Parts: sequence; C-alpha cells; structure tokens
Amino acid sequence: MADAAGRAPEQYNYDIVRRFAIMSLVWGVLGMLTGVYLAAELAWPVLNFDIPEITFGRLRPVHTTLVIFGFGGSALFATSYYVVQRTCQARLVSDGLAAFTFWGWQVAIGIAAISYMFGYTQAREYAEMVWPIDLLIAVTWVAYLLVYVGTIRRRTQPHIYVANWFFIAFILATAILHIFNNMEVPVSMFSLKSYSLHAGVQDAMTQWWYGHNAVGFFLTAAFLGMMYYFVPKQAGRPIYSYRLSIIHFWALVFLYMWVGAHHLHWTALPDWTSTLAATFSILLLLPSWGGMINGVMTLSGAWDRLRTDPIMRFLIVALSFYGMSTFEGPMMSLKSVNALSHYTDWTIGHVHSGALGWVAMISFGSLYHLIPRLFNTAIYSKRLIYLHFWLATIGIVIYITAMWVAGIGQGLMLRSFDEYGNLVYTFIETVNFLHLPYMVRTFGGALFVSGVLVMAYNVYMTVRKARQEEAALEAKIAAKMART
Amino acid sequence: MKHEQIETNAGLLIVLTLIVISIGGLAEIVPLYFLDGTVEEVKVAGRDTVRPYTPLELRGRDIYQREGCYVCHSQMIRPFRDEALRYGHYSLAAESKYDHPFQWGSKRTGPDLARVGGKYSNQWHVQHLYDPRSVVPESIMPGYPWLLKNNLAYKDINGRMRALKAVGVPYSETQVEYDANVQRFGREAADLLDIHSAEHNLLSQAQSSNYDGNGDTITEMDALVAYLQVLGTMVDFSKFDEGHFAKYR
Amino acid sequence: MDELLTWFTDMENTKPCALVLFFVTFALIVLYVYTGKKRKERFESYRNIPFEEDDDAASSAGKEQ
Repeated sequence: MADAAGRAPEQYNYDIVRRFAIMSLVWGVLGMLTGVYLAAELAWPVLNFDIPEITFGRLRPVHTTLVIFGFGGSALFATSYYVVQRTCQARLVSDGLAAFTFWGWQVAIGIAAISYMFGYTQAREYAEMVWPIDLLIAVTWVAYLLVYVGTIRRRTQPHIYVANWFFIAFILATAILHIFNNMEVPVSMFSLKSYSLHAGVQDAMTQWWYGHNAVGFFLTAAFLGMMYYFVPKQAGRPIYSYRLSIIHFWALVFLYMWVGAHHLHWTALPDWTSTLAATFSILLLLPSWGGMINGVMTLSGAWDRLRTDPIMRFLIVALSFYGMSTFEGPMMSLKSVNALSHYTDWTIGHVHSGALGWVAMISFGSLYHLIPRLFNTAIYSKRLIYLHFWLATIGIVIYITAMWVAGIGQGLMLRSFDEYGNLVYTFIETVNFLHLPYMVRTFGGALFVSGVLVMAYNVYMTVRKARQEEAALEAKIAAKMART
Repeated sequence: MKHEQIETNAGLLIVLTLIVISIGGLAEIVPLYFLDGTVEEVKVAGRDTVRPYTPLELRGRDIYQREGCYVCHSQMIRPFRDEALRYGHYSLAAESKYDHPFQWGSKRTGPDLARVGGKYSNQWHVQHLYDPRSVVPESIMPGYPWLLKNNLAYKDINGRMRALKAVGVPYSETQVEYDANVQRFGREAADLLDIHSAEHNLLSQAQSSNYDGNGDTITEMDALVAYLQVLGTMVDFSKFDEGHFAKYR
Repeated sequence: MDELLTWFTDMENTKPCALVLFFVTFALIVLYVYTGKKRKERFESYRNIPFEEDDDAASSAGKEQ
C-alpha cells in the first residue's frame, strides 16, 4: 500500500488530487443549487425579490461559471493529475506549481461568482470574467500546462497513454480560446470595465468559436480523457480498441474547432461561415460516436457487474447521454431545425443533457472510483451511491423532457399563422405556455441536486471514516511501540 | 515521420495538436476581417447612418450588460416571416459594428430587442423596468427599481470612450478626427462623438429628453432607456429598395 | 492575399479543396493505424497501460467494500 509506512511521503502527489476532488463537489453543490434557484425564478418571477444581486441576469453567469469551471474544471484538474501520474508512473513534476494551480483556480472561480452578482461582467457568455480574473486564469493555466507536460516528460515508459492526449488537447485548446476570446481594453488600470477588441460580427464569431469549444474541449475532450482511464479501470478490462481511440482523437480535435458558428445560423454572420459550421457539425457525429462506442464496448464485457456496481451504472448512463446529445447536437445544427430550436429552451435542454447526463455523470462515476483510493478506505455507503444514481438519472430525464416540450412548443407557437396570414400568438402568450414546463424543469433540477447532496454527504462520511481508521491505526501502532 | 514518434514525443504531440486545432478557427474567423461585404455599407446621401453610441446611450449599454439583459433578450432578428411581423426587418451586420462586445444573445426568454427603439414611450419603459408585471401581467422579467434610485456615474465617461476608441470606434479627440466624423456622419452626430464634450453631451441629452420622468437627477434609468430607444433606429429601411441588403447574406 | 482568401471562401472552391485535403489526410491516418500486423500488436498493447501501475494490488483491494 502506498502509505502503509505511516507518515512517509506518498509515491504520487495525491494531496492535490484530494483537494481538487473535494472542491469539485463544493462548487457542484453551490453551482447546481444556483441553477435550481434560477429555474425557480423563471417559474415564479417573484423570487427575484427586486434584489439586484440575485436577479436572473446577474445570477445566471454564477450558475454557468460554478458548474462548468468550478465543478467541471476542478474535477478535470483532480482526474488529470491523478491519471497523468498513474499512467506515466511518475510523481507530478512540481508540488508547488500544482498547489499554485489549485489556489489560482479556486480564487478565480470564487471572485468571478461574487463579481457577477455585483454587476462586474464582460457580458459575453461563459467568458463573463472581468479582465483581472482573465489574467489570473491565464497564469494559472500556463502553470497547469507546465505541470502536466513536465510530468509526462518524466514518464517511465515510452508511450503516452491516450487519456493524456485528450487532456493535453484540452489544456492547449483552452489556453488558445481563453486568450483570443478575451482580448479586451480596460477603461483604466483601476476600472474592472473593459471593452472587447472585436465588434459585432467578428465578436460574435470569436465568442461562439470560444463558446462551442468550451463545450468541445473543456466539457468533451477532457472528459473523454477521464473516460479513457476510469471506464477501463472500473470495468476491470482494457479499452475496447486502442486504434479506434487514435482515430477518435485526431478527428475530434480537428472537427470541433469548426462548428462554433452553428450558434449563429440565420444571423448577420455571412452564410458561408454558418454553412461550413453546419457541415462540420454533421461530420462531428462520427468521432463522437466512435468514442462512445469505444467506451460502451469496453463496458459491454462486464454487464454482469452492472447489477453489483453502482459506479458502472454512472459510467454507462454517461456514455449513453454522450451518444444521445452528440446526435441531437448535429441535428440542431441543421439550418432548418435550428430555425425552430434557436433562441428557445430546446437549446437549454440540449446543453443539460450533455452537461448533466455526460459531464456530471462521468465525473460522479470517476469521483466515486477515486475517493476511496485517495483516502485509503472503502466508501461509506454503497446504497447511497445507488440512491444518487436514481435521483440523478430521473432528474435529468424530467429536466430534458420539460425543455423539449418548452422549446419545441414555443418554437411552433411563435411561427404559427392563421388563415389570413396573421400571427396566432403574441410573445407573451408563449411565455404563459412555458409556465408548466418551467415548474417541471425546476423539479427535475431539484432531484438532480438532491442526488449531489447525497453524494456530498457520502463523501464527507467516507473522509471522516478514513480519518478515524487512520487514528485507530496510529493508536494501535503507538500501543505496540509502548509494549515493546 | 512515424506515428510512433508522435506518441512518444510530448513536444511533437503538442505541436501537431496545436496545428490541428488552429485550422478551424483560422479558416472561419480571419476572413471575416478581410472579406468585403461581411459588414454592409449603409449610406444615405453619402453619410453613414449607423453611428457610435452617444455618451448617455453608451452608459445605458454598460448598464444593459451589467444587469445581464443579454441572457434573456436577443438583439438579432432573423430573416423569417414571423420575426419580420413581430420585430421588423432582419438585423444587418452593420447595425452592430460598433458593439464591443456584441449583444446578439442566444436565448429569447423575453422578446428580441434589436428594434425596440421607438416602439414604446419612455414612460412605458420606465414603468416596465420598475415593475414589469404592472404593465404586462404574465411577464416573468425581474423588476429593476434600483435603476430609478441610482444616480448615473459618468465621471469616467471619457475613459470609456477612449477605451472604445482604442478598439476602433470612431470617437474623436483631435480636430482631424472630428472633421472626418463630420464627413462621415454629419455635423450633428459628429458633435455627439467628440470625447472632449462627452460629459456636456451626456448631461444635455439626459436633461432634454428626461427619459426617467424625473428632471432633478440623472439616474441609471435615463441611460438605459436612452439606449433602448436608439436600438434599431439607425437604419431607415424605407430609404432602400426591397432586397437591397440581400446580396450581403 | 485578399484575392486568395476570396477565392478560397467562395463556397464552390472551398468545398472540393477542403474535402480532398482533409479526406486524404484522414484516409492516410486510418490506413496507417489499421494496417500492419506488428503495428496492430504494438498499438493494442498500449491498452494495458492503466493496468501497469505499480500499486495496482492496493487499488483493486479498495474496489470492494
């Protein structure tokens, strides 16, 4: 065992992994609770209470930042640091630099969330952080790259395992996206307000190039890295096809960067750009499903374990939602479908089938695999993992269904004409129609969050148990020493 | 070069990945800066009709961003029959060419605002922002009563305009730049774009139009309503043949 | 430069050019990866990297509760 020798330093730096894993859950709980509150504000607008800091417009970036960068980002830091050490059989190249990435990242997330509530924002989706936070993130990210690549260079065997390829692509792409999308000129050195370098069409294109690749690299490529390590480990058998993973990698990282403009169909963006993006979006289905099939086929040899292993359930559901939403995405990027779906809640539903179904579920599975190993104990309660699994799965299904009804329903209402060619519905009538789906969505989201709370409790008890076991062991050793 | 080298050489893997991920962005973003017709020319009698925002409108736009209005309101009308009936002529690229950042939005929890300017009275906007459900009972928009209470901060208006000038918005500081603006936008508009008289322009626009209905103070409501009332009003489509803009799409 | 960009962004030119270029690259990669018995064995041996960890006994012990 790694630290059976009492206080001797661990072979790998698990301390940083533990810290990021715990913070991932903390941000997950906060960010998802914020999400449920936002959902409730749309169903019952009185919940805005005329308090500036919690109105929908200011709170929504808090939700997206906390779940994408806080929860997702911390989970990625944790798993990538774990995977790179284990597959390279080398300790992180610098504990100090790794600790710096921890504090840099946590401070950036915390300040960002608070600053939005007080109205400090760039007003560009998923890149709302004001310029000093952007700088902090840039520095942190460079440190991350250094730690990661430095560790890979220390590896004991020649081949770099494919999970690390995905993590490297994620780190590089995120750096490029972050820097080019956040080019801005501050009003003064002492003002948090800045204006983006690009304007209008170019700004829109740059922003959605960033926005969709935050999905493509942050929320997909990196989590595929997670998949390529934790799915084989949990299933107890190697990945189905290594050669498929190579094709999968190059095709995915190449195609993703083209598709951002499908968020701008039918806008003032030139037609050629959005047509190109739509074409590549369709092509993207192939590597996406290649990856999904690789994961599912890996699990398929271990179906019997589904009955006894709740973590396997998280992984298989994650892969299923990945397949579902990577089919839905290309479909929504078709111009004719997009004409209906764009600007409606269908998009919100699609994002959540990816974010809850794929990103969150694969993270939960990986974290349940990690936590006992990091703290050198068994999980506190397996039954609570089952409970979490069902709360999460049912919550997602309710959420997505409500958003399909809301989005497609509103889309159809807005474009319906009577026999004289007049519009049948005013805008506010469609808002009225949304009330029921919005309530149902809030309920679905609340189920999902309660699952996360169950997980947080389970992890808390596991860590506590680990501490008690450690203390008991130490007492035993001390007693033995005293006797001799 | 063998693939084996890529897999075993971290540096090579990084370089190749960088190349592969750069192609898409380069191919789609860079041409938008160079291709003619990406942003239409909109001239009436030789003058640009789309002008940068006045100091008061600019402050209103800042508040629009601060409150996160873009989260629920788009500013981009698509070329569909229902949108034409509901919101008006589809949006042109030229209409947001001074928007740093763009505010096209991605979700319509509320209606599109690209042409909301002039549709409602100032009084309606003030009441609606103060308490949306007092005007539209089914509305799910939050109220913004603090906009009426908060005095507008405008001491740094010159800094804001200078920052925008640095990213390419034609606000003028020198005589040469002012003269160029007179040529381009006409004297009346050029005066409003002069950074030196920004504070004066801001005060006089707020006082003469009195958007918030309270003549004593200049509030954030004045600025926001001034911004909302100019949205989509800079291009007079009656001055152009039908289909004139279609060739730019 | 402008002329080249204009030529390239004309959909009629972009489509075949990009298609040929990218497809050939893709086909070459697929061919490379899926041909050769030795290569196959080499690639598929990498599948086991996650299981070559030195303290694997400990991790499989932690699996059961």
